[in-house]
Amino acid sequence: MTPNYYIVLSALLFTIGAVGVLVRRNAIVLFMCVELMLNATNLALVTFARVHGNLDGQVMAFFVMVVAAAEVVVGLAIIVTIFRSRRSASVDEASLLKY
Amino acid sequence: MNAAIPILTLGGLAAFFALLSIITASIVGPRRYNRAKLDAYECGIEPTPQPIGGGKFPVKYYLTAMLFIVFDIEIVFLYPWAVSFDQLGMFGFIEMVSFIVTLLAVYAYVWRRGGLEWD
Amino acid sequence: MNGLIALVPIPTPNMDLGQIAPLEIVFGAALISVLVEAFVRREGRRRVQLVLVFASLIAAVAALVGLAGTRTLTAQASVAVDGPALFMQGTVLLLAIVGALLIAERSIDPAGDAFAPRASALPGGREERELTAAGWSQTEVWPLFLFCVGGMLLFPASNDLLTMFVALEVLSLPLYLLAGLARRRRLLSQEASLKYFLLGAFSSAFFLFGTAMLYGFAGTFSLGGIADALSGNAGDNGLVMLGVALLAVGLLFKVAAVPFHQWTPDVYQGAPTPITAFMATCVKVAAFGALLRVMYVALGGVRWDWQPMLWIIAIITMLVGVIVAIAQTDIKRMLAYSSIAHAGFILLGVIAVSEAGIASTMFYLAAYGFATLGAFAVVSLVRDSSGEATHLSQWAGLGKRSPVVAGIFTLFLLAFAGIPLTSGFTSKFAVFSAAIAGGATPVVIVAVFASVISAFFYARIIVLMFFAEPAEEGPRVVLPSAFTALALAIGVAVTVLLGVLPQPLLNLAQQAGIFLR
Repeated sequence: MTPNYYIVLSALLFTIGAVGVLVRRNAIVLFMCVELMLNATNLALVTFARVHGNLDGQVMAFFVMVVAAAEVVVGLAIIVTIFRSRRSASVDEASLLKY
Repeated sequence: MNAAIPILTLGGLAAFFALLSIITASIVGPRRYNRAKLDAYECGIEPTPQPIGGGKFPVKYYLTAMLFIVFDIEIVFLYPWAVSFDQLGMFGFIEMVSFIVTLLAVYAYVWRRGGLEWD
Repeated sequence: MNGLIALVPIPTPNMDLGQIAPLEIVFGAALISVLVEAFVRREGRRRVQLVLVFASLIAAVAALVGLAGTRTLTAQASVAVDGPALFMQGTVLLLAIVGALLIAERSIDPAGDAFAPRASALPGGREERELTAAGWSQTEVWPLFLFCVGGMLLFPASNDLLTMFVALEVLSLPLYLLAGLARRRRLLSQEASLKYFLLGAFSSAFFLFGTAMLYGFAGTFSLGGIADALSGNAGDNGLVMLGVALLAVGLLFKVAAVPFHQWTPDVYQGAPTPITAFMATCVKVAAFGALLRVMYVALGGVRWDWQPMLWIIAIITMLVGVIVAIAQTDIKRMLAYSSIAHAGFILLGVIAVSEAGIASTMFYLAAYGFATLGAFAVVSLVRDSSGEATHLSQWAGLGKRSPVVAGIFTLFLLAFAGIPLTSGFTSKFAVFSAAIAGGATPVVIVAVFASVISAFFYARIIVLMFFAEPAEEGPRVVLPSAFTALALAIGVAVTVLLGVLPQPLLNLAQQAGIFLR
């Protein structure tokens, strides 16, 4: 099994996440896309750790998981607060600040 | 066979602790049943036949879920430490204690500010 | 028990706790601050938090002064204690002290400080009115602030990409929350918070994927290790290029360079003004510190690949910043675009790739930081009945109503424009000459052109304040308490001092301007 497949899969997942952030409009879905990007990175990190035969990549993956959890909590707190004051999670409706 | 003894001991301890907690809770804990407690549990959201009109948005559930995620994920650091506990020695132990103390400070904040109360 | 595997003790990592004392003080204080929130009664919290915050920041400055001249790697080579790290940390700490003065202010708004009494209360709801009437305030601002400062201290000193990523998140996550806590215009503030969060999380995912690519190339996260791997390689490697580009996206987002700047005006406008001031200065210092370290220490070997990219980004950042700033009608948005333009000017120091480049970048950040803090402090003073009067038309004739405040604001605007005898002139001169010495003359020509345009819109505001007729029902200038007054005095003093007598700080920056590998 060559590691290239894993890297390609990781790059694909990362791209799907990035495109999702750019085209979707629901804050929760945007947020899930960001999480997909982080987890795609984890796959790449673990694969490279295997390629290089050292554990640094796996250690980094642990840190990414923890940071992602903290990010989920902060993000959900913000989204729930906005939802309560507007009854909607669409990022288009949140448009008091014009571009 | 020798290698299996720690595992069996651990299993025994786990079973003992589980039984002990259930029995203690049923003896010591107060019993005040209400509608919510007797309902089927479905991720904190109202069980499937929703009240007409959609019902309310359960923010409380999100609070509990967030706290769970934060405290749950921190355990990933305990696994590698536990695996190489013997090799890491005193320094690893001190590091882990300071990590847990940090978490405890946050836990104290959540507890004192009512994050653990459902109402 | 007989072990199945032979256990080799893992050696204790080298960890000189004294060398990271400023970090320990700030993070320790942040933890205590959380406990204060948990255990001190509500009436006493503000006072305890203020003592804790100022004591810890000043203690951290003292610890930093004690470390002056140190050049070493510590904590298993994950934190660098060298000239640039110490200089950036000192700048962040001093700016954070002034920022904390602004955050502590509570006599400007009749209802109290600049923050919502309870973040979870519905904007405009009954709960919020009752809490406001009862004089509640949200002291959770302080632990968030301290964690953020801690992250900012670690960010420019991280010597591997893992530490840098964690520091990036530690400084970002509290800021996302702080941006959403404004007392007035809460919907706007919550929206700013959401935008900042989504775009910030997006950009840190890019940073992370870039990190993964560089790890894939080098097999290590340490900046020195990546540099070694690069020097052993021709540099013609897809992984490296992808990694450098993605890493740069994450860092350029934090410094608000075009085209990664879209969040800046929205967040600066929506966030509570003291937080905007803190964000516009300290984040920039920390992020430029990290950008310099990554580019110089790890990626110096492939500089011919990233330098042209940064040339283009510096040029469009300066031009977009100054041109869009002309069209703004809101003072906070105008300052946001001006800060984008300044990010472009500071990038000139980065693309110089020399010791003079490092020194001039650091000097620019310090000078720009104090002027920006002062400018936002002035913005928080000009108010009408609904809160801050941020529309430019409301500032007409301010000089007739309150000559002192308008005069102070004029000084900061002149510093932004780079007029001689202010700190802005010295710092612009320093980065321009470093960039010319580094061979970036075309970029400097664009920069001079952009400075001229920027002088135009700064002058327009000065004219508006002093020569336009005041509006009938215009805003009034509120008399602040000692907190904001002190912050303003520090801002004015530093801006004038660095304009008239820049040499001591320039010398210090030059002595500090060498990275340790």
